[in-house]
Amino acid sequence: MLRSDWLANYADFWRDRYADIGTAALEHLTISATAIALGSLVAIPLGMLLASNRIRWLHTLVFTIANIFQTVPSLALLAILIPLLGIGVKPAIFALFLYAILPILRNTYAGFSSVDPALVESAKGMGYGTVQRLLAIQFPLAFPYIMSGIRMTTVYIISWTTLASLIGAGGLGQLIVSGMGVNKEELIVTGALAAIVLALVADRLLGALEKRFTRKARTVTRETSYV
Amino acid sequence: MRNRKFVALTAVLSLSLALSACGGKGGSGGGSSTSLTIGTQTYTEPKILAEMYKALIEDRTDISVKILPDLAASPIVIKSMKSNEIQMATLYTGEIFNGHFKIEDTKDRAEVLRQAQEGFDKNFGFHWFDPFGFENTYAFTVRKELADQYNLKTVSDLAAHAKDLKLGVDTSWLERDNDGYRAFSKFYGFKFGDTFPMEISLVYQAVADKKVDVVLAYTTDPGIKQYNLQTLEDDKQFFPPYDASAVIRNDTLEKMPEIGDAVSLLVGKIDAGTMTTLNYEVDVNKREPREVAVEYLKQNGLLK
Repeated sequence: MLRSDWLANYADFWRDRYADIGTAALEHLTISATAIALGSLVAIPLGMLLASNRIRWLHTLVFTIANIFQTVPSLALLAILIPLLGIGVKPAIFALFLYAILPILRNTYAGFSSVDPALVESAKGMGYGTVQRLLAIQFPLAFPYIMSGIRMTTVYIISWTTLASLIGAGGLGQLIVSGMGVNKEELIVTGALAAIVLALVADRLLGALEKRFTRKARTVTRETSYV
Repeated sequence: MRNRKFVALTAVLSLSLALSACGGKGGSGGGSSTSLTIGTQTYTEPKILAEMYKALIEDRTDISVKILPDLAASPIVIKSMKSNEIQMATLYTGEIFNGHFKIEDTKDRAEVLRQAQEGFDKNFGFHWFDPFGFENTYAFTVRKELADQYNLKTVSDLAAHAKDLKLGVDTSWLERDNDGYRAFSKFYGFKFGDTFPMEISLVYQAVADKKVDVVLAYTTDPGIKQYNLQTLEDDKQFFPPYDASAVIRNDTLEKMPEIGDAVSLLVGKIDAGTMTTLNYEVDVNKREPREVAVEYLKQNGLLK
């Protein structure tokens, strides 16, 4: 009896509010996807550069900065961003972008550092240029590392995107936070469930993408090694 | 390999034991007759008030008081009281509009208080003290220049300009049923151009930086004074009363009736102006809630 009441409540709630829930999920997806895309665009090239860079202090400097971004509390970061980026979606994306840099950077760096130097040397001996080496040898070998960095980052950025609700950018966090404020469990549970689903789907998609590219990358390496 | 598994298992077991021991301690806080845990919401006002209860109770009784700060929202405060994680807190009569139990719709101050006192006693087993004497309700506020520019005095005055204005509100107002945005726009007959539900402290930052024009503030919030905001009169009387009271579990009060005597000293003693000043001391002048609370009690002869 109680159980069916409970189900009916949720069914009613979803019927009444599906448009709002959809909007919140879409906002959430847009914010996290943009932050992760921007984070990858910055962190992957940076990781590649750092792996081939021989100046020690530069490593330390870059990793220290990325670490610091990671440790700034979100509320403080958003407060600092108001004069620069205002309120709404922009500061939310920027904050999450900063949080996304470190894990992608670390994994990219680890991936490129893991490539056997002997392999790079022999490629050099075979007359490969720097760009060719990078694309045909180092990148395919580092690719699983990079992807695991992106996948991990995606899952936790999707959960962290709930901070968007602090700065007026909406998203699923808004459902959760307002649900806590007004004692509506349906809002909290719906927001949390939707975030979980988003994270799982995104992880699956990236996993499929990774498999596809890894296969391709392998054939490329094999072809080149035959040459 | 086996050995390592054993170590990991032991670690997990001992950790969970340690954690459950902590939980046990918190839960039994109200069980023993000499200790009390007071919960507070995230903002300053309940924190100052909790320090007042603590100082008064510890001064007049042998009970030791612990304060558990920063519970995310008032429904969470209520849940923690119900599960006896905390035994006491500060709540506002308008809490009855959060759907904890069935209510008769009214905006009369005494009637809302009566429903809060009876409803929480009957449904939750809480004793709701008589109010301190101040309300902390919602108020529309605008930047001073904007008020002068459009000659805004009341909420109705906003109607003509609302669609060009950006409204900053706390994270839950848009969702509230009885006194939230949907009810508001039906009642006053207008909507704002853009609404930004935000962490309330960031709303003030945003208005100071002109990123929003109108702020739905709390009436005892020192941000109104600090950021030079003009309060608009709720001329159609939309917002219900939010009188502040101390609330305690009935069983705790029965076990330790001296708490009631101590807390009753504050009933009817704090007006809105006083509360705003105390909040200002903490939020703007960055003093400790404890220091401000004790100073107030001493000035009023409640503490030596």
